[in-house]
Amino acid sequence: MSNDKKTIGITKANYSALQKLLQTGQFASELDAAKFAMAFAARNEVPAGRTNGADTKWNVGSVDPSGDLREMVLTLYPDAREPYRLMEHLMNEGIRSLAGDAKNPDVFGVLFSTD
Amino acid sequence: MLVLKALTLENFGPFKGRQRVEFAQDDGVMIIYGENMRGKTSLLNAVRFAFFGRVIGRGSKATSIHEIGNWEEAAVGKYGFQVELEFSSGGHDYKLTRTCRARVTTPTSDADYQVDHFLECDGDVLGPEQTSTELARILPEQISRFFLFDGELLQEYEDLLSSESDMGRRISEAIERILGVPVLTSSRATALRMKERSEKREATAAQSDQKTREYGNQLADLHAQRDVLKADAAKLKTDLDGLRTKKATLEEALKRKERYASLMEKKDGLERLVSEQTERLDTKRQELAAGMASAWCTLLAPQMRDAARRLETHREALEATVTRWKVLQELKASATHSCPTCLQKITAEARAALEEAASGDDEAGVQEAREELERVRRRLSALSRFLDDDRGDTLKIRWEAIDELEVDIADKKGQITEINKQLETVDEASLRKDKTEYEQTVRAIDTTERTLTDCEEKLADNKTGAERIQKRLDRLGGNDLQGERARRSLYAKVHELFDEAVSAYRDQLRRRVEADATKHFRALTTEPDYRSLLINDSYGLTIVHKDGSLIPVRSAGAEHVVALCLVGALQNNAPLQGPIIIDSPFGRLDRGHTTNIVRALPTMAKQVMLLVYEDELPAGLARTELKGQLKSEWILVRRSARHTELAERKS
Repeated sequence: MSNDKKTIGITKANYSALQKLLQTGQFASELDAAKFAMAFAARNEVPAGRTNGADTKWNVGSVDPSGDLREMVLTLYPDAREPYRLMEHLMNEGIRSLAGDAKNPDVFGVLFSTD
Repeated sequence: MLVLKALTLENFGPFKGRQRVEFAQDDGVMIIYGENMRGKTSLLNAVRFAFFGRVIGRGSKATSIHEIGNWEEAAVGKYGFQVELEFSSGGHDYKLTRTCRARVTTPTSDADYQVDHFLECDGDVLGPEQTSTELARILPEQISRFFLFDGELLQEYEDLLSSESDMGRRISEAIERILGVPVLTSSRATALRMKERSEKREATAAQSDQKTREYGNQLADLHAQRDVLKADAAKLKTDLDGLRTKKATLEEALKRKERYASLMEKKDGLERLVSEQTERLDTKRQELAAGMASAWCTLLAPQMRDAARRLETHREALEATVTRWKVLQELKASATHSCPTCLQKITAEARAALEEAASGDDEAGVQEAREELERVRRRLSALSRFLDDDRGDTLKIRWEAIDELEVDIADKKGQITEINKQLETVDEASLRKDKTEYEQTVRAIDTTERTLTDCEEKLADNKTGAERIQKRLDRLGGNDLQGERARRSLYAKVHELFDEAVSAYRDQLRRRVEADATKHFRALTTEPDYRSLLINDSYGLTIVHKDGSLIPVRSAGAEHVVALCLVGALQNNAPLQGPIIIDSPFGRLDRGHTTNIVRALPTMAKQVMLLVYEDELPAGLARTELKGQLKSEWILVRRSARHTELAERKS
């Protein structure tokens, strides 16, 4: 666990998708959108993994000041050894599937779908 | 008396080529039949154009002369038109020719035309000045509404009932003009001018005598002040007239564009609402965006709840393990041989069983359970906080409110687009300009009226002051002043005489007009319970029931009947008499009223020309009712959509 990330970032490929999410006007910040994307990925049971090539965007202290998020990730992914790296992976995966191909990401549909 | 003899048209409106209509000159009625779009209004306009050089479209709107020329001729490059009107007045025969010629090969606007006119009197061409004087005498434009009128515009006479309305004031002034009141009011003004002049002369004479100099000086000052105030008042009155005319013109323009104006008002209202709602939408979006910080909790809430349930079970198991170990250790270590709970003695067998049970839990394993319990508790606490942050319901309400607002805004924008389509052909800028100008004019009228009142009050004070000094001067006497004093006294009496004459003449006229209008009304109305018409100070007429009560509201049809009665009464009482040419007078009337009016027409004017369509006035009905009074019938024959021929109809 000592090798876990101290910063979390978005890949270049996902950067425009994150902007698309932001442009929906439904998020006040990139971090809110990234957290939403992370939850989306987790809800869709995206397997644990790592994303390579992510730029530095946030310090983990800003993303998870209380450490609760880390606990939550470890709850959902009990085998994870590097929860912040996994968090970064989930954010990138979520951003990609939410807004990668979509012209107008359907945030409302995702949030309130009855599935 | 003005009598029309003939009208020759050349490429005027649908009247292609050169065409001539001869008016019956004997007292009676002439009818020109024409279906819609054949050129009845054009014929009325041809007479108007000949006299005044203006053409009026539906709703009093001046029509562009570029649009008057015959379209078929214009299509082959022949632009322009001409009207010749032959008439007699005061024992002379006149021929008035007004020509509109294109200045360029292909004209595109009024600026590309040159309009000229000349008047022949008994075969001699008159000079331009004489022509203007003669035409202004024969038929002043201000009173033309009582001779040439569109039946639809008879509605305007309702404005006479309200002294507030500018249209009513204008009609009222025109009525006094046709009735000859200005002759008296001008004489009164002249007498007043003469009186004031003699007052000035008297003041000057008083200034030259030491005994009266002081009063003479004061009077001269007051007269000078009066001149300035009078000039101011006259200017203000002229300004006020101009403003009122402008207001009435703008009012008419806005009335014509009423539908568009109401559309624009609706559009403005919608745009205002859209702007307010957009602002609200922005706020709601910001609130939503702020709330969306915890949206991820809502998204993961089911998984987190499941995990929390699992962790809870795990926590309970871990807590049981730790507690059990703790209890067993306590029992094992206990020095007493009795149970700490029931205080009964612990047997050796029981003690052996306890030790065996305690030996199954190794300390390391329990320590691990303790650490795991801590982790589980941390995670449960984290999950509990995130689940508390799940504001899914609030987010949904906010989201739906935004959705609703967006739909509402889209709907309003759709309505604005629809209105824009309807306004596409309308010059929105000019409509807005008219509206703004109207509001400015109303404000300017208010200010001018107040300034005028102020000026008139100062004039009244000036008059009181001058009279006071004049009295003192009169007491002092002085031989040099006798002559001027006698003149002043004479002019004052003449002025008073005319002043009283104006009031007396107005009263007399009103009584005569009321009596004649009532006579016409009783002949025209089909309602036996209506007894008479009552005139007000502005020549507005109200119907009086046989029980003496006034009929406050009347229909459009009744309005036409009353207006025709007024026109007939004015014709009967005016020093200037002439023909009446009415375009579509029966459109709003039932057969009973139409019959009555047709029968009464010969009593309203000596020469009456009706421009009607067959359904409005069937030829059979006209012939039966008018009998020998029907002097001739003409018909507008269609040759093509843009070509009408004038033909006399033989019964």
